[in-house]
Amino acid sequence: MSEVLLRVEQATIHFGGLKALSNFNLEIRRGDLKGLIGPNGAGKTTAFNILTGVYRPTSGNIFVAGQWVNGAKPHQINRLGLARTFQNIRLFRALTAIDNVRVACLAEASPLISAERLDAIRQKGGLTGRLANLLDSANDYYDWWRALALTPGFQREEERLTRRAEELLKIMGLAHRRDEEARNLPYGEQRRLEIARALGTRPKVLLLDEPAAGMNTREKSELMVLIRQLRDQFSLGILVIEHDVRLIMGICEEITVLDYGETIACGPPEKVRSDRRVIEAYLGDSYLDTHPEVEQAARR
Amino acid sequence: MQSAQATVKAVGLPYGVRGILPILLAIPVIALAQWLLIGLPNGPFVIYIASIVGVNLILAVSLNIVNGMTGQFSIGHAGFMAVGAYTAGKFSLHAKDLVISHLPAAMSDQVLFLFALLIGGCTAALCGFIVGLPSLRLRGDYLAIVTLGFGEIIRVILQSTEAFGRALGLAGIPQWSSLFMVWIWAFITVLAARRIAGSSHGRSLWAIREDEVAAEAMGVDTTSYKVRAFVVSSFFAGIAGGLFAHFVPIINPGSFTFVKSIEVVVMVVAGGLGSTTGAIVASIFLTLLPEALRSAFTAISGNAEIAQRVDQIRMPIYGLLLVTLMLVRPQGLFGNRELWDVIPRWIPRRRRAA
Repeated sequence: MSEVLLRVEQATIHFGGLKALSNFNLEIRRGDLKGLIGPNGAGKTTAFNILTGVYRPTSGNIFVAGQWVNGAKPHQINRLGLARTFQNIRLFRALTAIDNVRVACLAEASPLISAERLDAIRQKGGLTGRLANLLDSANDYYDWWRALALTPGFQREEERLTRRAEELLKIMGLAHRRDEEARNLPYGEQRRLEIARALGTRPKVLLLDEPAAGMNTREKSELMVLIRQLRDQFSLGILVIEHDVRLIMGICEEITVLDYGETIACGPPEKVRSDRRVIEAYLGDSYLDTHPEVEQAARR
Repeated sequence: MQSAQATVKAVGLPYGVRGILPILLAIPVIALAQWLLIGLPNGPFVIYIASIVGVNLILAVSLNIVNGMTGQFSIGHAGFMAVGAYTAGKFSLHAKDLVISHLPAAMSDQVLFLFALLIGGCTAALCGFIVGLPSLRLRGDYLAIVTLGFGEIIRVILQSTEAFGRALGLAGIPQWSSLFMVWIWAFITVLAARRIAGSSHGRSLWAIREDEVAAEAMGVDTTSYKVRAFVVSSFFAGIAGGLFAHFVPIINPGSFTFVKSIEVVVMVVAGGLGSTTGAIVASIFLTLLPEALRSAFTAISGNAEIAQRVDQIRMPIYGLLLVTLMLVRPQGLFGNRELWDVIPRWIPRRRRAA
């Protein structure tokens, strides 16, 4: 078995009296391709927001790459290897395609004080331990100084970064849009650019929030091929939220179904498809009572 | 935002030279400009005005890093300028009789002056850090309120502290500043702003301005980026203050009021939020405008008293200008682009094709 990259144990979140998500469990390993479906307002995006640190779960535990991340900030969780796209596209609209990706391709800075030394200082704990954060921000300021003085090392780093961003654009078929502002791209390309940007952060797990929304049938089938290809090329674990049942049944090996924040089914596509509670959630239970043939058809 | 990718273009220069070359080129040019201006019949006046322009340019370009590139709204820039001016001024008052051994007196003064500036800049940067750390965690208008408060606190402290001369301010600060010093610093500020804009740090700032949630999700530590932008911006405001203190006869709290902060904000907004060249053009234009009006009035009426009044109606004119600009061109003169991105767009398409 490959390593567990993301594990969610009994994650629950309340907004006032509303239980937006309760006892949500999930495990993603390298090479996994899992799906998350459910009717509108079922808590899918809430689940994503908990995983990525936008919300802090009321109870339960989340581990990214073996680290407990409850209450960590989104950028910290991202650094651990969890990247996402957004349901309503959130590109940096006025930035060019390449710059969108370059923002995500954070430079591997050559810092003033190495990470190992910082960790050693942190281990000492107490006031000295707290000093480590201050020293870490000295690293950041040093890196700004390198940008201001335009040191040779900094220039080389920027070129490396640009090359990597160009490569990602090429993979996502956007190389010809390199210097186009993101807001001027067609819809389908904006979605692909969001994936390119997410890949820029060198993720281990990729969370795709309705990647096919607004795409036509042809674009959707291309996207299916692409998602599989990305998983294999970058050896990622991928979790997809999608409304398009054909797409999600076509690519996912395991599907979790949410309804009113509850996990009502979890398993391989065939099993989920024939689950009575899933059909109920999507079509309503009265519908099932009057149309028993639907359930039978699903079972076949 | 073409500006972000217009880094120092690969002109085939070796990496080691690119960092320092612009400054090496600027030194003789600015020195020559100073030499030419001193020769003019009303040289001292021209140099005084040019120094004021330079100081305002530094203020506008540095504020643009926070208000334009990062999209945060700070309206307390005069506060940081005051911190720089008083710290540097105080240092020079104590150090003016010192002479660094083995150096000629003039040279020694300039070294001390540079020290004073850096002390002023660093103190302002420290204030920026202290003000920014708690307030930049918040979103929206909070920063505006906090910076406004900071500016006023600084002014009140200066006004009521004996060591800073209360309302009378500091007098007798040695007049060490020169056009050369002011414009070298203006050049450094512009260079720094452009380099930030074109680096990965600058791109992160643009990203914060565009969509903070997405930037955070892409691994950008938004709070600390904002604080760093704020610190750099405050540093240069402090430098501007230090320069100012060394060429005006007296500094008092009246020079660093809320009105001054707004003046700088107007320059940045008028030039286009995020456009460094826009801030440059707007700061030069808006500083020279009252001077031009004043001499125009003097020439027409021959009455110096009317000309004096121009100074009093400066703010209404600013306001009117801003209202007109917002109605006609809400994105400012250049929007978030730079001069060289905008000019080609103004040329009619037909002529470009030809």
